[in-house]
Amino acid sequence: MQDYLEIRDPVHGFIYRESHERDLIDTKLFQRLRSLHQLALAYLVYPGATHTRFDHSLGAFHVAGGLAKALVQSDAEKRLVRLATLLHDVGHGPFSHVAEPILQKHSSKIVFAGKAESKIHELISAKIILENTELREFLSDRDRQNIVGLLDGSFGHSYLHEIVSGPIDADKQDYLLRDSYFTGVKYGIYDQERLKNTLRVHEDNDDMVLAISIDGLHALEQFVLAKYYMTTQVYRHRIRLITDQMIERAIFLGIEQDNIGWLRALYSYDGTNDFIQEYLQWNDERLMNEVLHQKGSRVKDLFDRLRERRLFKCIFEVDQNDFPDPSTRNFVFAGSKDFYKPLEEQVAKQFGFDPNHVIAYGVTFNSAIKTESQVPVLHKTKTTLFDDESALFKSVDQQIREQHFHIYAPVEYKGDEKQKKKKYREYKEAILNMIQTLANPKQELPLA
Amino acid sequence: MKPTDFLLCLIDASGGKVPGRTLLQKRAFFVTELIGEDFGLKFDAHYYGPYSATVEGTTTQLKNLGFLQESSTGFGILSDGFEVRRYDYSLTNDGEQLLKRLRTTAEYGTIKAATDRVLAAGDPNYVELSIAAKAYFLLKKKGGGSMSVAELIKQAEKYNWSISPESVDRAVDFLSSVGLAAGG
Repeated sequence: MQDYLEIRDPVHGFIYRESHERDLIDTKLFQRLRSLHQLALAYLVYPGATHTRFDHSLGAFHVAGGLAKALVQSDAEKRLVRLATLLHDVGHGPFSHVAEPILQKHSSKIVFAGKAESKIHELISAKIILENTELREFLSDRDRQNIVGLLDGSFGHSYLHEIVSGPIDADKQDYLLRDSYFTGVKYGIYDQERLKNTLRVHEDNDDMVLAISIDGLHALEQFVLAKYYMTTQVYRHRIRLITDQMIERAIFLGIEQDNIGWLRALYSYDGTNDFIQEYLQWNDERLMNEVLHQKGSRVKDLFDRLRERRLFKCIFEVDQNDFPDPSTRNFVFAGSKDFYKPLEEQVAKQFGFDPNHVIAYGVTFNSAIKTESQVPVLHKTKTTLFDDESALFKSVDQQIREQHFHIYAPVEYKGDEKQKKKKYREYKEAILNMIQTLANPKQELPLA
Repeated sequence: MKPTDFLLCLIDASGGKVPGRTLLQKRAFFVTELIGEDFGLKFDAHYYGPYSATVEGTTTQLKNLGFLQESSTGFGILSDGFEVRRYDYSLTNDGEQLLKRLRTTAEYGTIKAATDRVLAAGDPNYVELSIAAKAYFLLKKKGGGSMSVAELIKQAEKYNWSISPESVDRAVDFLSSVGLAAGG
């Protein structure tokens, strides 16, 4: 008889795990996830958003277990799907996704081995799963290789990977509900039970893929809309964008200008076990505490601001409609980011800011459906795609990809609302001129 | 070259317009295959053949930036009540302005030459291109190298799609014509 153990979870109710899964949950490696916030400093915007990668990993594990029970035949594969989901986030470091651009920039190119640099925490997760001594105690070599294969899609049929990492995976199915619950925002709620019960495994050539029954079409629409609304309301909330950019800039300055050796080492993955050993000693709180002890440093200056919630403000915000000239529009929204630094320097010079404290940032709100559009929808006699089947998304999806360009700086607006608006107009007019000149160095173009 | 520039060049090389999202996906796939560079489009295996979320997102981006115009055509209502629609993309005047610079680049010449090869190989419709793309993508993933017509037909017959033998023949002819399949 299986030894089932329960954990009470605010999102899913009881999460059941078997004794061998409890052994993994009790490792120092997994317990470390308790000290990594799921949404970095989003609690500066949503005070309730203090949940962690630990809660989320357990939640995703629970969802994956339900999906595996409904869809996977083999007990061995069911077990692997549960374990892979449980361990899918062990490679996250302090401030998780927010600090990933720094990790990508400073890590040795050798470690990517042809894989997308944006997936660096997945590469670190794979390294940890394969070589961590605690995991080796509870999982065989073959288990660990299969788990890594399941996470990167090289093991088994496609649907096994899609349960763990795909358009409607257990990861998203948990984090939408969890982030919604902890932020207090209701937009991430969808009918998870209905979605689970209408997912199917569908034969596709020599492969098996995850599909949805036509009966679940509305549950999938609701899930996709939940993802879109959570992106606009929480993940891309205007204050959260500022805090994320301040964290990234602070770490960048700590490495590049303060020359803090341990900080550079923390964000320079070289594929070695020594790096991993050190990396696993860090979490959000330790990083915050350590940088706050770096007296007189630029990184401390910005983290002081974050801790005290003295945040930068958005002094410039434009979208494509602000640039009637197509080449300037293309330059700002579809060109390279090479102009960000010279623009930051010009803004700093004109308005008297420290150039390190001016942050140019392009933000994109992607279409509501991305790869979900290709999820097969099963009818009695035919198979279509979600993109073609969903009457709702046929009409709205293509309209909702937005691009904005922001500049953040440490301003303190003085006076009343009228004076604030006047100052904002002054910033906007001057910065538009700077952009026009950078985009068209040989000619002056009319303003919007 | 960035995905935005690639798609502008591809649509320009296609005569300034491409009828249908699926056709755009598959044409982009074959042009990148013929050139041997993916321009950051990252095609993945999907049910109806290789699909790039980047092509989808970039097309919407170009539309929202005012460089592409989208128009849709209805093809009637199916028995289950859903309407069949096709979304066509064409360059706007602003898009044409950007092309003036792009047409002077070496990459444009390469994309134009590859697109011409695709169009000259019978200009298949989106169904035939989808059959060809899926068969080619799966067989390339398995072993790489040039595959025989017999292998391609065998591969396409495994699809659970409603496709006619004539469509499979035209897909195979297309792959042979552009040099992505060996005869026999």
